[in-house]
Amino acid sequence: MSSSGVEPQAADLVCQDNVQGMVDALTSVRWKRHQDAVVELSEHGIVLIVEETRCLQAKVYLQRELFIRYEYSAQGRPRFGVCLGLFVDCLNTFSVPGHSSTIEIQYPGPDMQLLLKCGTHLFWPLTLLAPKLFSNDDFLSPQAESQGLLIRKNACIYAEIRTRIPERVSWDYNFEPAGSTPLSFTVRCLDLLSSCTDKMYAYLVVPKPKKLDVAVANVISAFLPRPMAYELQFKDAKKVVNNGEFTIFEVSTIDPSNIKVFNPQSAAFKEAIDDLEWPGSSIQITLQPVPPSVTFRGNGHGDSQIDFMYYVNTDLLVAFHCDHQVSYRYKYKFLRTMTSNIPASVIKDNRGSKLTIVRVGMLKVQHLLSVARTSISHSHIDSAGYQQPSRIAYIEFFVKPEGDEATGND
Amino acid sequence: MKFKAFLTDNGVSLLEKRFLPALDKMGRICHLYLTREHTIFLHNLLNGDGIQSIAQFRKEALFDDYRISSQNDDRIAFAIDLSLLHRALRSVITICAEFSGSHAGSGGASATNRLQIKLVKKLPPHSQQPMPFLTFETKGYKSAVIQDVPISKPLSRSDVLELQAALDMAQDLPRTLVQVPDMNQLQNFVDRMKHVGDLINVSITKYGDLHLQISTTLITLGAEFRILSVIGEQAEVPVGDRDLSAQSRTQRAIQRGDAMTVQVNVKHFAKSLQCHLAKPDCAFYGIGPQGACLTVIFQFFIPGTRQADKSISLHCRLPILDPGSN
Repeated sequence: MSSSGVEPQAADLVCQDNVQGMVDALTSVRWKRHQDAVVELSEHGIVLIVEETRCLQAKVYLQRELFIRYEYSAQGRPRFGVCLGLFVDCLNTFSVPGHSSTIEIQYPGPDMQLLLKCGTHLFWPLTLLAPKLFSNDDFLSPQAESQGLLIRKNACIYAEIRTRIPERVSWDYNFEPAGSTPLSFTVRCLDLLSSCTDKMYAYLVVPKPKKLDVAVANVISAFLPRPMAYELQFKDAKKVVNNGEFTIFEVSTIDPSNIKVFNPQSAAFKEAIDDLEWPGSSIQITLQPVPPSVTFRGNGHGDSQIDFMYYVNTDLLVAFHCDHQVSYRYKYKFLRTMTSNIPASVIKDNRGSKLTIVRVGMLKVQHLLSVARTSISHSHIDSAGYQQPSRIAYIEFFVKPEGDEATGND
Repeated sequence: MKFKAFLTDNGVSLLEKRFLPALDKMGRICHLYLTREHTIFLHNLLNGDGIQSIAQFRKEALFDDYRISSQNDDRIAFAIDLSLLHRALRSVITICAEFSGSHAGSGGASATNRLQIKLVKKLPPHSQQPMPFLTFETKGYKSAVIQDVPISKPLSRSDVLELQAALDMAQDLPRTLVQVPDMNQLQNFVDRMKHVGDLINVSITKYGDLHLQISTTLITLGAEFRILSVIGEQAEVPVGDRDLSAQSRTQRAIQRGDAMTVQVNVKHFAKSLQCHLAKPDCAFYGIGPQGACLTVIFQFFIPGTRQADKSISLHCRLPILDPGSN
C-alpha cells in the first residue's frame, strides 16, 4: 500500500516536491469545486490541464527541475484524469505548518491510483512520547534532541487518489500566430503601485455613483491580479458631468501619496466583486500600434474604459508588440478566472504575466509563478542547503473570444 | 427552587477566558446542571445524535458562598444560550475591572465588590408571563450592572433524573487512551482533511498509535501518529510491524485485538479538537468499550504543578456512525 517502503512494481513516476509550491500553482487554475483535470507525465515534468466549456483552458507546467527528485521510467506519456479540487485539498493537508512538507508522489499505484505520502517529523516534545519505543534510528538530529524535540518519522500522512482514463483529448490549439508576429504585451503586476501616477486614466460611465468602484474594479480585476485592484480605491475620483441618470467620472490616480498603500482590509473590494453579477458581461481588449496602447472596455450597467499607453506605462507594461490593431471581446468571468485564483502569497513575487492575442482572437495569458519556499521546512534534513536553481511554475490560460468578435477591427 | 452564589476571580477567568469559548464551539445551547457539589455544562446528553460534551466543576472551582435548594434533592437544570452567558459575563467583568482599577491599593475593595449570580423569575417587558433568568449582579465604582440571561424553564423532576442517568452513563472510560501531544497541530491537520470527506475512521492501538483516515470512492487520505504515550491497556509493538504501511499495521493490530477502529463524523472530530480553547494541559483519545463512542478526555493541572486538578473535568463523546470491525 501507499506508505510501505517496498514497492512491488516499478512506478512510472516517483517524485518529491515541496507541497506548498504545488498547492499554489494548482490553486491558480482551480475556479470551481468540482473540476476535472488531466495530468500528463513526461521526462520533462508534469503538465496539468483544466478546461471549461471548451472556451477556457488552463495548463500548469511543473518541469522536472522543480522537484527535489524526479524519477521517470514510463514509455510514452502516461495521461490520467483526476479531480482537481480533491487533489488540491489533499495536497493542502500535507502542507500543515510545523512540519516538513516534502511530499513523495508516485504513479501508478497497484490500482492506477496516484499515491502521495509524507513521512513527517512532527516536532513534539520528547517528554510527551512513550520512551520505551525509541530505537537508535529514531533520533536523526542530536541538536534537536538536545532541545527536547523528537525528530523521527513519528507521523505519516498518506493518500491514494483514484484516477480515471481521460474521456477525450483536450483541445490543443497550435497557437501559431497567423502569419505575423504575435501581438502581445507583458504586464508587471507588482510594479503597479509605483506606476499609479497621472499616467494612467480610466473613463467610466456608471449609472450610480455607488457603482463607481465596481465598474473600474470590474475591468481592472478582470485583467490583473488582485493587488492592482486594491490600489484603485478611487479616492480621488472626480465627478465631471452629472448627466441625468448617468454620471461620468474620470479617474486618474494623480498623487501616489493619496493611495493608501495596499488596503489589506479589502472587504469592501471583495464585496464589490462579489455583487458584480453583471450577467454575461464582457470586456473588450484592444491593442493598437499607434500610439502603442492597450485598452480595456467593459460593459454592464455602465461602461468603463481603461487605457494603458505603453510609453507612459513602461513600469506596468514591460513589453509590447503589436503591428496592427486588433480588438476582441472576452467573457468577464473567464478573464477573472485567469487571475483571481492565484494565491495572494505568491503574487508578491510575481514575475509578470504575458498576454498574447493569437489566431482568431484567442487570448493566451502566461503567468510565471515562483514556487520557491524556504521558510517552512527550516532545519529539515532533505532541504537543508538545497538551493533550487529555478523554482518557477508556468501557468497558461487560453480564452476564446466571444462569438461576435471583430468589433471595431478597423 | 433557589440558587445564589458568588463567582470567584478564578471562576470568572476559567469561564470567561477558557471554558465558555470552548463550549460555545460545541453548540450554542447547553444544559447547565447545578447540584449541591457540582456545576456541570452538558451538551447533547438528552437528545442523542450530536457530540456530547461534559464540563464539570466542583463548586469551589467557580464559586464561594454557594447556596442551592430545590425540592428535587437540591438539583436544578435548565438550558442556556452560551453566547449570551459569555456576553453577560464579559460585560460585568468590565465593570469589576473599572472598580478594582480605581481602587487599586485600597485593601478590601474586592470583598465588597463581588460578582453575584442567581436564579430569578422576572416579568420581561411586553409580557404578562414571568420568565426565568440567570442574573449577574455587580457593583462598580460608579455604576452597578445587572445582566439577565434568559434561560429555559427549569427541567422537571423526571427530566433531571433522565439527565443524571445520561450523565452517569457517560462516565465509562475507554480501556486504552493515547495522548495527543499537540492539539493545535492536529486541529490544523483535521481542518484541512475535512474538505476531502465527511466520515473519518479513527483507530487507536495499544502500542500508542493514532490513525486517522478519510476514505471515499475517489480518495483515501490518512495520517498515522505513532509512539504516543498510552494510559490504560498497552502492548509492545510486534517486531515485524514497524516497516509496514500505516493501513496494514492498523489492520494487523485490529486482528490481534490490540486496536479498535470507529467511524465518526469528521465535523464532530474537528469540534472535539476545538476544546483546546479551554487550554487543557493534556488530551487523550480512546474508544469506549465495544466501540460505543470515541471519547476525548482533557486533563487540567493544578497551576504550577503536573498534578491533575480533580475539581475540573472536561470530556467529549463522539457518536459512532459505524461500529467498525472490532
